[in-house]
Amino acid sequence: MHKILRTLIPFDIAKGLSITGRHFAKVFFTANRRKVPFHIVSEYPEVVARIQPRFRGRLTLLKDEQGEIKCVCCMACEKICPTQVITIEKGKKEGRKMPFPVRYDFEMERCIFCEFCVESCGFDSIILNHQFELAAYNREDFSLGLEGAENMFEPSQVGKFSVADD
Amino acid sequence: MFKNEEMEINLGPQHPSTHGVLRVKLRLDGETITHCRPMIGYLHRGVEKICENQSFFQGQVWTDRMDYCSAVANNLGWAEANEKLFGITVPRRAQYIRTMLNEFNRLASHLIWLATHALDIGAMTVFLYAFREREDILDMNEAFCGSRLTTTAFRIGGLREDLPPGFEKMVQKFLAKFPSCLEEYENLLSENRIWKKRTVGVARLGAEDAIAMGVTGPVLRAAGVPYDIRKAFPYAAYAEMDFEIPTRTEADTYARYLVRMDEMRQSARIIQQCMDGMPEGPVMAKLPKILKPEVNEVYHATEAPKGEIGYYLVGEKGSSNPYRFHVRAPGFINLQSLPKMAEGGLIADIVAAIGTLDIVLGEIDR
Ligand code: SF4
Ligand code: SF4
Repeated sequence: MHKILRTLIPFDIAKGLSITGRHFAKVFFTANRRKVPFHIVSEYPEVVARIQPRFRGRLTLLKDEQGEIKCVCCMACEKICPTQVITIEKGKKEGRKMPFPVRYDFEMERCIFCEFCVESCGFDSIILNHQFELAAYNREDFSLGLEGAENMFEPSQVGKFSVADD
Repeated sequence: MFKNEEMEINLGPQHPSTHGVLRVKLRLDGETITHCRPMIGYLHRGVEKICENQSFFQGQVWTDRMDYCSAVANNLGWAEANEKLFGITVPRRAQYIRTMLNEFNRLASHLIWLATHALDIGAMTVFLYAFREREDILDMNEAFCGSRLTTTAFRIGGLREDLPPGFEKMVQKFLAKFPSCLEEYENLLSENRIWKKRTVGVARLGAEDAIAMGVTGPVLRAAGVPYDIRKAFPYAAYAEMDFEIPTRTEADTYARYLVRMDEMRQSARIIQQCMDGMPEGPVMAKLPKILKPEVNEVYHATEAPKGEIGYYLVGEKGSSNPYRFHVRAPGFINLQSLPKMAEGGLIADIVAAIGTLDIVLGEIDR
């Protein structure tokens, strides 16, 4: 008898529906109010994404106060990188005692953002920045060096991918 | 008049319910499966070989990419296997933080299992709810180690950095709301007649078969065997934690669902204990400059969310690379029980069987 009743009246389904109903009501009555900027999903391109301070983004070379590159070519980062994407060429510069990188090539398409390079650097001359919008159309845009539009000092240019932008 | 012929079909490799690129060769008699063979190897990257050509320190990044749903648990196994090889003792605070993050990872992995398993069987709502909670855990991963999925969370000898400021608040906020979220999932599924019809008695795997095939993890515990490496061979700080091993005896898909739900409750309990008893002190042991192995080989097993993940490392004298590296991946071993579960059942139930095994192909193919 009890079993027949349970089969006839779908309590179990009603239980589930009440949960979805409650959530629906909650979102329905609080959505689009100023006080709640986003609920669970953020409106990403319009609302800037929140990034934690330790976020591992793209490798960036740092300069000191005089505008000199801090890197002294100890090659520690090149050696530790698991995917071997850093290539450094040692060189000399006038008026500088420490070695100076003539070439610092970084192939971003193979970087796995592990931060081992930053950890190994004893001179605090590199960091991973907070950039995550790193997609590009051309493969060449992923090869960063000391010069050029896409270089190791500035953040990468954010690609515009929507067709309407053209 | 009607010829009774068996039909051979492929399930996958690009099928949304095969969790990656698993191909299952099926022979069907009507709707009944008479023969089922999983075909793997579509995601093979040679992780073991790559690690043999890299130093012990660098190897960790590859363990992230094996089982990408539970990267922290993989990192823990790798770090501990190396510490065993080098004879390093990890500071207590680091052990606690590792335990806590590992349990968070278990939650994340079980949530993604719940989400996709329910979606495969046809319950869409749970998928979104479970991902909502998983998001919080990924945020914590991001706050701790800077990455959400491929965490590279630990280092040989401890941790890279201590917990970030504000982490405790995030944990407490999560723990405060998590039990009610679990209740929500259970209200949606546990009594639901469709869910029960699709799971009760489906894809049985008895204790005897499970042990014979080396199956571990929730699949084994749902068959009534209370084997959990966290209790059997405690590692990290599990020896000091108070928790239970949930088991069931029905050995079907529904039992595995209940076991995993209970496991999530226990994980939340362990996290709470870690937070309460967090010792002070350093998080990194003193290490020699270059790691050179002492003993020749180690095997270290830990309880990943999906089962026993074991790392076998052979060190060479005077070399900073492992001579041989092998992973005992839980998904790989568990998957061989799929024919046992699926043969004789209906074709619709194989989706439930694949889902309940909780496989990730990145780990199976490596
Ligand atoms: S983040 Fe990792 S992969 Fe990328 S350059 Fe640094 S060491 Fe290499
Ligand atoms: S580790 Fe630092 S100082 Fe050494 S080469 Fe790399 S960036 Fe330069």
